[in-house]
Amino acid sequence: MEYYLGIAQTIGIHALLGWSAYVLLLTGQLSLAQVGFFAIGAYVSAILTTMFGFHIVPALMVGALLGGFFAMLVGFPALRVKGLMLVVATIAFTQFVSLFFFNVHWRRDVDGVMAGPDSTQGFREIRFYAANGWDTLDVTLFIWLFVLLVMSGLWWLDRSRAGTVLRAVGADDLAAQSSGINLTVAKVTAMTAGGVIAGLAGGLYAHSATYVDHLTFSVLLATFAIAYPIIGGIHSVLGTLAAVIFIQGILIEGLRFLGDWRNILFGLLIILIMNLKPNGIMDARTMRTIKRMFAGGKSADAK
Amino acid sequence: MLKLENLSKHFGGVRAVDDLSIEVNRGEVFGLIGPNGSGKSTTVNLICGVYTPTAGSIRLLGNEISGLTPNRRLVAGVARTFQNIRLFDDMPVWKNLWVAQNSTEDANKHNLLRRWFGGAGSDRDEIDALLEFSGLGGRGGELAGSLAFGEQRRLELARAVAAKPQLLLLDEPAAGMNLDEIKDLAKRIKGLREQGMSIILVEHIMELVMGVTDRIAVLNFGGKIAEGTPDEIQKNSVVQEAYLGKPQDVA
Amino acid sequence: MDDIVFYTVEITQSIIDGVLFGSTYSLIGIGFTLIFGAMHKLNMTYAAASLAGAYIGLVFFTLFDAPAMLVFLAAIVGSAGIGLIVYYICFRYIPVENHLAALMASVGALFFIDEIVIHATNASPLTFPALFDDVMLELGPFGIRGDLLFVFAVSLISMAALWYLLYRTRLGLATRAVSQQGIAAQLCGIDVHRTNGATFVVAGMLGGVAGSMIGASVGILSPLLTLPITIKGLIVTVIGGLGSIPGAIVAGFLVGALENIFLFVRGVNERDMYIMLLLFVFLVFRPHGIFSRRAERD
Repeated sequence: MEYYLGIAQTIGIHALLGWSAYVLLLTGQLSLAQVGFFAIGAYVSAILTTMFGFHIVPALMVGALLGGFFAMLVGFPALRVKGLMLVVATIAFTQFVSLFFFNVHWRRDVDGVMAGPDSTQGFREIRFYAANGWDTLDVTLFIWLFVLLVMSGLWWLDRSRAGTVLRAVGADDLAAQSSGINLTVAKVTAMTAGGVIAGLAGGLYAHSATYVDHLTFSVLLATFAIAYPIIGGIHSVLGTLAAVIFIQGILIEGLRFLGDWRNILFGLLIILIMNLKPNGIMDARTMRTIKRMFAGGKSADAK
Repeated sequence: MLKLENLSKHFGGVRAVDDLSIEVNRGEVFGLIGPNGSGKSTTVNLICGVYTPTAGSIRLLGNEISGLTPNRRLVAGVARTFQNIRLFDDMPVWKNLWVAQNSTEDANKHNLLRRWFGGAGSDRDEIDALLEFSGLGGRGGELAGSLAFGEQRRLELARAVAAKPQLLLLDEPAAGMNLDEIKDLAKRIKGLREQGMSIILVEHIMELVMGVTDRIAVLNFGGKIAEGTPDEIQKNSVVQEAYLGKPQDVA
Repeated sequence: MDDIVFYTVEITQSIIDGVLFGSTYSLIGIGFTLIFGAMHKLNMTYAAASLAGAYIGLVFFTLFDAPAMLVFLAAIVGSAGIGLIVYYICFRYIPVENHLAALMASVGALFFIDEIVIHATNASPLTFPALFDDVMLELGPFGIRGDLLFVFAVSLISMAALWYLLYRTRLGLATRAVSQQGIAAQLCGIDVHRTNGATFVVAGMLGGVAGSMIGASVGILSPLLTLPITIKGLIVTVIGGLGSIPGAIVAGFLVGALENIFLFVRGVNERDMYIMLLLFVFLVFRPHGIFSRRAERD
């Protein structure tokens, strides 16, 4: 049972990470910077709970807000850079953040024990859950509360003007601008929102894992983060979740019996999926097929 | 309505537009023609804000707009269509219209919260009327990318009109159209003029230009070589030379 | 006063070593930029494929005790082969307009190649043959390492060979035509798919040189090299300007030199941090790179 709850926690956190990249993908910005904001959220919230005795909820909020703040700072220079150049710039940013935390050494005496990020040794003492009597089920539900919150937020986004504006920017930014959309506002807002979600995810991750070091926040994780919405397709919020469940649940856990070879299969599987379904698993056509299936006998109404 | 004064745009050594001065009156259809490379597209992009001028000014209803970004120009009252159609292919037809409408709606213009977080799908009546006007009535739910070429052109025009502009800039709207579609477009342009809209028409297809415009400016090498009514332009030898070359050039 | 002289000498030495080693970064940058120029897509596997080629060369070294030149040759052929395979599985059959899918597929291929190397070598570093590593030229207060000089020379020769290929052969002409106007090139009878495949092979060959030269300079090959070299290669490509070969060359030397300066000034832990920061700052002021391609009009 513990095992499955653990997987559920991982899926929840990775879904949040995937959605933080999804928001940016809507505007056409391919960002591998999300793990940088994830790291910021992780360290900040962990420092607050471990070294300064904060309760986890405000700590998560601060982590998320700081994630968003730094995302906003990145969002402005990111405006100047398009497409694949942005990919490279964001890779560099994530690597920078990872290396930054590698060099951070800040420890504090908390009730007689030294705690805090310790460069190469990592940050080991993130014990809020254990210290406050939360069991695995509590943690899992807590994480999924945020998952549902973010998911409904994004679902509502798609039905709002803001969502259409973001997608228009992603579809054709010149046409969007000529139709009156302020590109700066749209893109920086998307980046900030992505940063907030990633920061939140980072905080949740740090407390689940109880130990973070800079190696976790790698460019590899960043490619996972962007892989989820790409493989899931940007036409549906659930697509990202489906991709996370598929990759984390089936691939990594389900193929556990294959041991070390599953990573090789993982790479091959991505190649296969991208060749067969270049617009993602849940692309526009698949979505319409699913919708039609649920519409049942009624004739398809175009509206 | 629109005044271009000594407008210039240089790209490095290339003088795409050089000291151009044009005035478009309210409620008229103004044609902009010229051989390829004469600076028509650059002029369009300058008016719409895609390029910033190297020199000169662009005034809309007396207000200087050359410093505004393209989205602000739409709010100021200038809407455009694109030479190579730029629709939001993966969005339904009605959303393509709605994006432009939403940007300029008076109620929303100054209320950022309402503009961003209101539900999409309000103000459908206006959109439905526009769809009817474009011959796309009842097809609002189809994806823009699935429309036929002629339909896409009509949608592109409708999108520009949805923003309720004062000035409409049509960048080669007839490219790729057959004769019937061109006649239809001519009717639409005249209809828009009757509603009081000012229109700048950049085109190559002379039947359309001559039949629909009130005045025409002819560009060559980034500058204006002639200006007048369609009749005057057709008889103008400088214009003929620009398009056809000097008589002795025809070997 | 003595301190200033010391620091100047040390920094200049760092720059010299950096520029010499930076020639390998130039090659990796050229590889990324070649493929981007031809297909407007990023091949994320490129650095990994180049190192994998070097590993293939290593097989000849460990199994057959082959001489260094043969190892390098095997690396070149190996990388070229990997490049061709990557072309087929990640770029050939994915729709041309779909950049995301090709990018993701190449990321998948990156995982795949990386994992194979890790498995084949049990993740332990392996020695790579070097030439002239015992030679040291003295130039006043500066020492020029023989092995680095060799690497530099080989890189320059490869760049010259590439130039010849691109500007003096029909394949090169086809590649340039396809990169500038794909459809028009087809109308002129150029087989776009074969040309692009050939571009991957050529880039792969260059990558094999880069991979083996990196191995020769560092003395060992390790799967841990893949990520930093991918990132630095991409940084070189971007700073040089996507699609610009001269840009990649200059940027490679620049990054190599700066890397060593940062190493000297702040140590190995912080060195890469500053490179990343440098890229960000650079992009703010010159988003299109040192030598950007001509601005494209609609």
